[in-house]
Amino acid sequence: MDPFESIKQTFFQECDELLTDAEQGLLAMESGDADSETINAVFRAVHSIKGGAGAFGLEQLIRFAHVFETVMDEVRSEKMELTDEVAKVLLRAFDVLADHVHAARDGGSVEETRSLGALGELKGLIGAEDADDDMNNGADEDFGFVPVTLSVEGDEAPGGFIDLDAQNASAEIAVPSIEDETGQTSWIIEFSPKTEMYAKANESGLVLRELARLGETRVTLLDETLPPLDQLAAEQAYVSWRIQLFTDSDEAAIREVFEFVEDDCNLTITCEGGEAQAAAPSAADESLSEDDRAAAASANADIDIAALLARVGGAEAAPAEPAAEAPAEAPAENVAALIARAQSVEPPPAPKVEARPTPAPAPAPAAAAPAANSGAAPAAAPTATIRVDLDRVDRLINAVGELVIQQAMLSQRVLESGLARSSNVALGLEDLELLTREIQDSVMAIRAQPVKSVFQRMPRLAREVADMTGKRVKLVMEGEGTEVDKTVIERLTDPITHMLRNAIDHGLEDPEGRAAAGKPAEGVVRLRALHRGGRIVIELQDDGRGINRPRVRGIAVDKGLITEDQVLSDEEIDNLIFLPGFSTAETISDISGRGVGMDVVRRSIQGLGGRISISSEPGKGSKFTMSLPLTLAVLDGMVVTAAEQTLVAPLSAIVESLTPRTEDVHYIGGKDAVIRIRDIFVPLIDVGVALGFRETAIDPASGVAVLVESEGGGKAALLVEAIQGQRQVVIKSLEANYQQIDGVAAATILGDGRVALILDVDALVTTQRRKPAPRSEKRMAS
Amino acid sequence: MSMDTATLADRATVSLTPVLDLQAAEPLRAELMSLRGRPLDLDASQVTRMGGLCLQVLMSARKIWAEDGVNLTVDQPSLAFSEQLAAFGEPELHFEPEGELS
Repeated sequence: MDPFESIKQTFFQECDELLTDAEQGLLAMESGDADSETINAVFRAVHSIKGGAGAFGLEQLIRFAHVFETVMDEVRSEKMELTDEVAKVLLRAFDVLADHVHAARDGGSVEETRSLGALGELKGLIGAEDADDDMNNGADEDFGFVPVTLSVEGDEAPGGFIDLDAQNASAEIAVPSIEDETGQTSWIIEFSPKTEMYAKANESGLVLRELARLGETRVTLLDETLPPLDQLAAEQAYVSWRIQLFTDSDEAAIREVFEFVEDDCNLTITCEGGEAQAAAPSAADESLSEDDRAAAASANADIDIAALLARVGGAEAAPAEPAAEAPAEAPAENVAALIARAQSVEPPPAPKVEARPTPAPAPAPAAAAPAANSGAAPAAAPTATIRVDLDRVDRLINAVGELVIQQAMLSQRVLESGLARSSNVALGLEDLELLTREIQDSVMAIRAQPVKSVFQRMPRLAREVADMTGKRVKLVMEGEGTEVDKTVIERLTDPITHMLRNAIDHGLEDPEGRAAAGKPAEGVVRLRALHRGGRIVIELQDDGRGINRPRVRGIAVDKGLITEDQVLSDEEIDNLIFLPGFSTAETISDISGRGVGMDVVRRSIQGLGGRISISSEPGKGSKFTMSLPLTLAVLDGMVVTAAEQTLVAPLSAIVESLTPRTEDVHYIGGKDAVIRIRDIFVPLIDVGVALGFRETAIDPASGVAVLVESEGGGKAALLVEAIQGQRQVVIKSLEANYQQIDGVAAATILGDGRVALILDVDALVTTQRRKPAPRSEKRMAS
Repeated sequence: MSMDTATLADRATVSLTPVLDLQAAEPLRAELMSLRGRPLDLDASQVTRMGGLCLQVLMSARKIWAEDGVNLTVDQPSLAFSEQLAAFGEPELHFEPEGELS
């Protein structure tokens, strides 16, 4: 891959992370529990996105991010009060910002009205400041600020120019204009603008003039890299400056001049006579600038890349607060790491191994400006990570799967060969088994990811759906760190999306309805993820009106899904909404009522080997619970025999196993067997019959009953001929290789090389539970 | 047109636009490039603002004019132009080949 392209990809990956951070911060801001650090983090995230966008010339994105950043700057400097309204505007604008990033990545564009609308809202927030700034500028006559011309540059220019002028004013107050030579310090400032500085309509000229206000300057223009006109790219930065400044201002005051361009230039400020005051960031800048200059003549893009990497990598910690003082070596190290990183990406290696820079040991003495400085630190905690192509991980997992099978086969052979359990071979094999298990766990852990990546899309969805339906909703998410296999994660988005839409669209009442019901106007939807019994459970709970059971029932009857006289428990009525073609929306809305309701959700969950259930309380809300396997690759199972077939029952569903006694088995209506297990009766399902291996059930007393529990809490006893034992099996999808079969979740390859079916316990239990209805119907008909 | 045959008749004047900012840089470069080889007067009397990019264009033009051995002058610089040029460190923009007659 083109190295530039691959760096760009890295940028977009980083963007995703930055967007996530920003959104979390914004949500915290909205809920009112954002501290200054959170606000700063949002600012920095947006700032970094803008910076990277600048390096790649993503104009639309730059423009939007710039305005966003300006507003964030107002908020963090407390010039603007963070009201609920401001937070909401920011959140809406954030969605557009995310769209801009994605459009830039995928090559589309953001709907202009949306983008402009959000821009308008943002600008509305800073409207007053704009006006003030314009006036300030008017005063600066000889520079002739011409708003009309600048407006071509869109939203860029005002921020840059004006803010500098504002700085101006304060600088003038701070620094007496004429000073004795004595007591003044001589500073050497090396200032190399980067292309993006100009692209953002910032001006080196202004900066230099600004600097001149601090004291006497001797400016040397360095133009070694400036090509002759026929090779010149007019909008690229070539020249740099070396300025000697005599002033009694301190370094912070000097840095202030560069405040708005600091990220877009290489800057070194050294005190002549050179002791202490050479600030931390200069160390970083120095090494960068040398690097840059070397590269500048040949490929200016390198500068941008270095800058980009510096930014996305967190080396930017320094810019915002000039006073930030960190140990000098740390940033240098940081930059070295970044450069190493840049280089490592350049040759196109298949696995993009990327040493994450260890950031400057998080601004150790919480001195000067910890708020601004520590920003990138928590995000990039000092754990080294690598990025590896998913393909490689998948290959590894497949190989480990085969290893497990092979190991099982080997065990079987050893067993068959009649070697003693205490023989060296058997003992060695046991160790191998442990080791295999460990490898497998470790490999699965590689692919495990927090569900955060799915959850993070939900706040936006909630906002959009709430806007569309005119409802007010607060989405509370818990357990985002819960880990689950990547293959599962990928397929979680759709069901959760759908359920969330449903919860807001159908579950929650509108604000008036809520008021009438004595609830707060804002509905609460909770999305939780947790591990339970070797599975991941995802719950989506709303505090809306709950399922309207009479209506659900009415609709089911209307649609011929059930008969009018059918007696259903509350739970069964609730579950009717999972039937295909069931949609309760009275008016078909854009959001959910498209007739692809909950049945689709259920099918996709089942496709994942998962289960979904619902519980609802009228007037109080509903709760959907999805339970999914942590991985789609392996399963702990009980190997059983039924009708001479070897089958596997997932261990997670099994409660106990027992040998049925004839007196405990009863037949309802002379046909459907139930078994009494400690004072409760549960259906006894002959697996061989249920799967169609044979016509008639075996004598319960001759077999073994395995008591299983379905996700919905329903219990049943599965009758099989024998239990072979407990084993870990590698799941091979039936859908992928054949097709879905009721009652069968997947297949596996056993130690002896034969294929065994894995039982879908839930399906078996539910089929059994649903069976009585149609049967009674049949009987009536016959 | 050969560089050597540049004559007084070929002398061109470019009137610099008042605002020499990001937007003006590329048009300026294109305009100057189209006049390559001809003695050039840059009329800077209208300039109210000059940014770094246009400065680069002018300096870069001077390089190539010097390479070609052709005259380049800046006429009637406005105060803003002169001041900004000073702030930029007074880079040389004029070029007069030795032995030039005018």
